[in-house]
Amino acid sequence: MIDIKNLHFTYSKKQPPLFSNLDCELQPGSIAGLLGKNGAGKTTLLKIMIGLLFPTDGQIKVNEHKPGKRQPSFLQDLYFVSEEFTLPSISIPDYVKANSGFYPMFDGALLERLIADFELPETKSLQKLSYGQKKKFIISFALATKCRLLVLDEPTNGLDIPSKAIFRKVLAGSLSEEQLVIISTHQVKDVENLIDRILLLENGQFIMQKDLYEISSKLNFATSATGEGDDILYSEIIPGGYKVITPQVNGSSSVDIELLFNAITQGGDKVKDHVK
Amino acid sequence: MSNNTFNFSRFVKLFRQHMIHNQKLMLFSIVGYSGMVFIVLSLAQLANDLEAFDPDEFLGFMIGFVAVFGILYVGHSFPAFRTKETTITYLTVPASAFEKFVFEFISRVGIILVMLPILFWLVYHLQGYFFKWLADTQFVAVGFAQIQPEITPEADNLSWIYVIVGASSLLALILPFTGSAMFGKQPLVKTLFTVALIILSFTAFTWFVLDPLGLQNYRAHDSMWLIPTTELAALRLFGIGLIVANLTMLTVAFLKIKEKEV
Repeated sequence: MIDIKNLHFTYSKKQPPLFSNLDCELQPGSIAGLLGKNGAGKTTLLKIMIGLLFPTDGQIKVNEHKPGKRQPSFLQDLYFVSEEFTLPSISIPDYVKANSGFYPMFDGALLERLIADFELPETKSLQKLSYGQKKKFIISFALATKCRLLVLDEPTNGLDIPSKAIFRKVLAGSLSEEQLVIISTHQVKDVENLIDRILLLENGQFIMQKDLYEISSKLNFATSATGEGDDILYSEIIPGGYKVITPQVNGSSSVDIELLFNAITQGGDKVKDHVK
Repeated sequence: MSNNTFNFSRFVKLFRQHMIHNQKLMLFSIVGYSGMVFIVLSLAQLANDLEAFDPDEFLGFMIGFVAVFGILYVGHSFPAFRTKETTITYLTVPASAFEKFVFEFISRVGIILVMLPILFWLVYHLQGYFFKWLADTQFVAVGFAQIQPEITPEADNLSWIYVIVGASSLLALILPFTGSAMFGKQPLVKTLFTVALIILSFTAFTWFVLDPLGLQNYRAHDSMWLIPTTELAALRLFGIGLIVANLTMLTVAFLKIKEKEV
């Protein structure tokens, strides 16, 4: 589905490269979380994947297409929900009439269901909706296109707390095995229990590319009264104790993505070495 | 859908998308343009003791309106390129760069050359009949036959004069069209500034470099295309130059869409 080999990218020759020798392979049937600090290059990488930016060097193939060519056969099978977006001043039915025809697998019934799930009001103009409502609509439309690749950049920004839960529910319930979803976010709590693969980007490199089940089979996420000990790979103080990561000894535990993120980006190599 | 360069069905979808997304804007533009034509014609007639316009005046007004509003309208082609968000949406619409380019060209330059004269003709008659009814003035309807320009040059030069008039009129629209593909913000202002800069540079170069060198005294051979010695050859060179300029500008606009990054 997505095959990146030795990818290099720089915004200008005067600047150091943002990505050097980046490799990544993603298969359909999963939801990948692209995580990284601010400025790590998450949005840039997404833009390269969908052909809005061209790599300086290296290879990238998405659905057997070179994204930079922006061929219609490539674009009709991907939908990108940008962090910031604009919608025309028309009604929802008009928007659907104007845009759904570009996507051969568009599912109108699914869109209606998602709009109902998100409790979006009927309106004569999309412009009259709040930012969060607009976001819910564009996410619903993206899911209804049934594109094989959905790329969501900070999808939960602007959503209220109940909507975040609905977002997780509709996303998990609307996808098929042929689809791949890439979610870029720094609000890792919002996508917990949703993503099944983590891509952790730092300093132009993937410092972790793992399936969640693999991580949970090697690491245990728990709370503890103490933050230090032989088996504690990483700890963070919380009210009343510590959140800790220890080696997995009896099966698996649910992954605390935020803790894992902090452990990998701040906690040195202990955790990283353990999940290798 | 397998053709990734041009597919008529996809082109129709682009057209439909444009019509639905911009229906209000188009309606307001038509009303605004028609209203402006009506007001300006009315003021001109009032200033002229309510005397009706003749076909020559009709032609002059029409060329003026089409030129001013046309350049303004074409100078805001590729409206999606004004912001990052709309550029992303535009570039990810499943249509080829060629389809988007052709559509933009037709919906901007094509519409100017067809819609604006027709609208002007309609409003001109509306205004004329309105004044006739209101103030009992004379009004003569203008048909296509009355507005043919009376050009009587030498027969040899006629075709090249048509080429020059046509190509230069088209260039006046294609330049802002290309400019709006190149410049994100304030495209028309930047295009006009760039064109003015090029003309000034060329004039300065001729004035300060070519003139002192005495190139005007150089007598070229008759067969040299780039240094014409007859009126026909000069017209031919100028006409071909304008056609090449048009094609070059269109190619630049197309490449700007194809290579656009955001």
